[in-house]
Amino acid sequence: MTTTPDTPVLAIENYSLDYHTPSGVFHALKNIDLAIHRGEILGLVGESGSGKTSLAWSIMRFLPKNAREPGGRILLSDENLLQKTDAEIEAFRGRRISMVFQDPSTSLNPTLSLGTQLAEVLVRHRGLTRQQAWKEGEAMLAHVGLKTPAAMMNRMPHEASGGEKQRVVIASAFACNPECIIFDEPTTALDVITARQILDLFVELQAETGVASLYISHDLALVSRTASRVAVIRRGDIVEQGAVRSIFANPQQDYTRELIAAVPDPSHRLVGDALAPTDQPLVRVENVSVHYGRKPFLAALTGRKTERVAGNNAVSLSVHPGEILGIVGESGSGKSTLAKAMTGLNRFEGQIWFDGREIRSLGDMDNAYRKDVQIIFQHPDASLNPRQKIGEILSRPLKLFGNASDLDQKVGDMLEQVRLPRTHAQRYPHQLSGGEKQRVAIARAFASKPKLVICDEITSALDVSVQASIVQLLLELQKASGTAYLFITHDLNLIRQIAHRIAVMYRGNLVEIAPAADIDSPDRAEYTRRLIEAVPRAAGQYL
Amino acid sequence: MTDFIKRLLGTPQGAIGMVLVLLVLLVVLFGPMLAPHDPEALSPLTRYKGPSLAYWLGTDQYGRDIFSRLLIGARATVVMAVLATIAGTLIGALIGTASAFLGGRADELIMRTIDAVMSIPSLLFALLVVNLLGSSTINALIAVAIAFAPGMARITRSVALSVRKQDYVNAAIARGESSGYIIFREMLPNVIAPIIVEMTIRVSFAVMLFATLSFLGLGAQPPAAEWGLMVSEARRYMHLSAGILIWPSTAIAIVAVGFNLLGDGLRDALNPRT
Repeated sequence: MTTTPDTPVLAIENYSLDYHTPSGVFHALKNIDLAIHRGEILGLVGESGSGKTSLAWSIMRFLPKNAREPGGRILLSDENLLQKTDAEIEAFRGRRISMVFQDPSTSLNPTLSLGTQLAEVLVRHRGLTRQQAWKEGEAMLAHVGLKTPAAMMNRMPHEASGGEKQRVVIASAFACNPECIIFDEPTTALDVITARQILDLFVELQAETGVASLYISHDLALVSRTASRVAVIRRGDIVEQGAVRSIFANPQQDYTRELIAAVPDPSHRLVGDALAPTDQPLVRVENVSVHYGRKPFLAALTGRKTERVAGNNAVSLSVHPGEILGIVGESGSGKSTLAKAMTGLNRFEGQIWFDGREIRSLGDMDNAYRKDVQIIFQHPDASLNPRQKIGEILSRPLKLFGNASDLDQKVGDMLEQVRLPRTHAQRYPHQLSGGEKQRVAIARAFASKPKLVICDEITSALDVSVQASIVQLLLELQKASGTAYLFITHDLNLIRQIAHRIAVMYRGNLVEIAPAADIDSPDRAEYTRRLIEAVPRAAGQYL
Repeated sequence: MTDFIKRLLGTPQGAIGMVLVLLVLLVVLFGPMLAPHDPEALSPLTRYKGPSLAYWLGTDQYGRDIFSRLLIGARATVVMAVLATIAGTLIGALIGTASAFLGGRADELIMRTIDAVMSIPSLLFALLVVNLLGSSTINALIAVAIAFAPGMARITRSVALSVRKQDYVNAAIARGESSGYIIFREMLPNVIAPIIVEMTIRVSFAVMLFATLSFLGLGAQPPAAEWGLMVSEARRYMHLSAGILIWPSTAIAIVAVGFNLLGDGLRDALNPRT
């Protein structure tokens, strides 16, 4: 290799990227200057739409047809990638520069075995025969910490867990000892504990090979743990870059400061711990179990036993009036299943006591119950009907639960309550930003003046800064109305800030419920402790 | 909207389809005014004539002007086809959306019934309905509508199933909305785009189905200027003058091709990603 230690492996100089869209030119990247040296991890942090992934694709030289590059250079060991022909690019993609994607379940071909996909990289770029490549692949899988590499090679992607798949993707990225690897949010689609393991693996492999890494993430806390330098990108502009420590300890730009402040910090509580004692809980969930799938008709006739998938196993918990109960757990742990059972979207077995009334089945959930228990969903894009105006969406609960007089006035009031202008009533959901849409969803839930609002991962689809403002809005609404929240999330740092008590779920079972202040005490259940350990602590360590 | 039309006219099939359909529409609207002759005026002296200045497309076996008959007959043929398609689509869309919304056993029951109906070819099915109800234009319309409904129901259901999983439908159920509101206001507006595409393509099938029914003598009755009927009547005289057969057939083909292309163009324009 011709590079001397002081020339960067990857250098981006004054690089700009435009997209030509029917509505005009969109400047995706503006005069980007970045350099990554050997053995270095550069963290690239920005919100969605800031151009992080566009930058990754322009380094990989894989841009859509409407992309134009008005200027700049991308140098890989002093070779300008912009001037390479397609054939040259193809020869070094995967060999000298490779990429790890966000979601391992979509970045692997579901119809080829993991081994075939890994061996293909080796055959193509290192000129091995198939047998050699297969052997080498096994060794690599062992290297990335997979317990049964030989068996894993023969498995299909759907037979491996998300973490295992991401390990295979990482193995194939490291397969040809590239000079530079781009990691595009490699842990975002994974569970907390798995994400932690993948991150540890990444740090280990990186230290071992000394590959120059570009680590793209929206999560400042995560980047602060892995990267040595951080660049903050906003709307295609690098706002600030520097060593992790100096960025966190002494941010120069307002935007960086906002970003850092928006990262949830569990030691900074947003609600008081004291909760007025009440004799009776608002809602008590007793031994609620949810099973998915229905008995096949033939099985019912012949009396054959069928295994149903359990979503919840006899979960019992209670929420007091005005309380915020957090529910945390990995994906598939049954958090949302419980929420859906409580709002009448899933059939359940067991009882729910609400305000002294017993609810045994969906049939018992009458208008009064539905008025008092509202749910807000994760994706505001999906929870607002794209063909209805905001005004129509917000007026439905009024018509159903209240009096329908003076609708325009009331809809306007609701919008103001969630800090949106009254004129938004005339808009369609797609004309609003993600945060605004979630505000509309919140307004809809509060329209019927409910006693319990179930928030199902409502901030996880939003950017950090938007998340902070949504959480603040929820807390203000709670203060004003005294509504109880069932706050479902996988973000432990956030829930430790706002919940009174935290319930931990694992594979459909309730592990334990603990007061938020005691969640990190050593007496907690083993799973809870592992969860707490796995979560990247906020930037606090640098403050 | 202008963006959408631009996309539609940007594709060759969309542009050609649009031109043909507009042409047909003009004939439907203004045909009777433009017709140079009385379509039912018999003139025994000018039978089997080829195209001339007086008779642009020649005359038929009774000396009637073919061009005038085509202009007049456009209404009977095209309007009927469009009406039948709309009726069939509405029935199908409702059944499909409701089936997707209900899910479970009800869905199974509805869809298996639809499968059973679909296993009968649509022409046979239309023949059956017309035979049961008697042959008239209205009955032919009903027959075509019923024959189209199952296919539309199945297409609508597949789209509606993905809409059913969306959280706005869940939100409506959680707030206790009635099934009718959810089907009509929450789900139907979101499945409409693929339905419109399918409907446009089906108009061309309906034109041909109508023509076939008339050809078999089960739709419009003589002396109506329906195109399929014209072809049917011309069959016996084609060795005397091929034009009698060719012109109405060409008209049917133009309408069918036009709507088909427009449907293809709409599909591309409504799904800019594919």
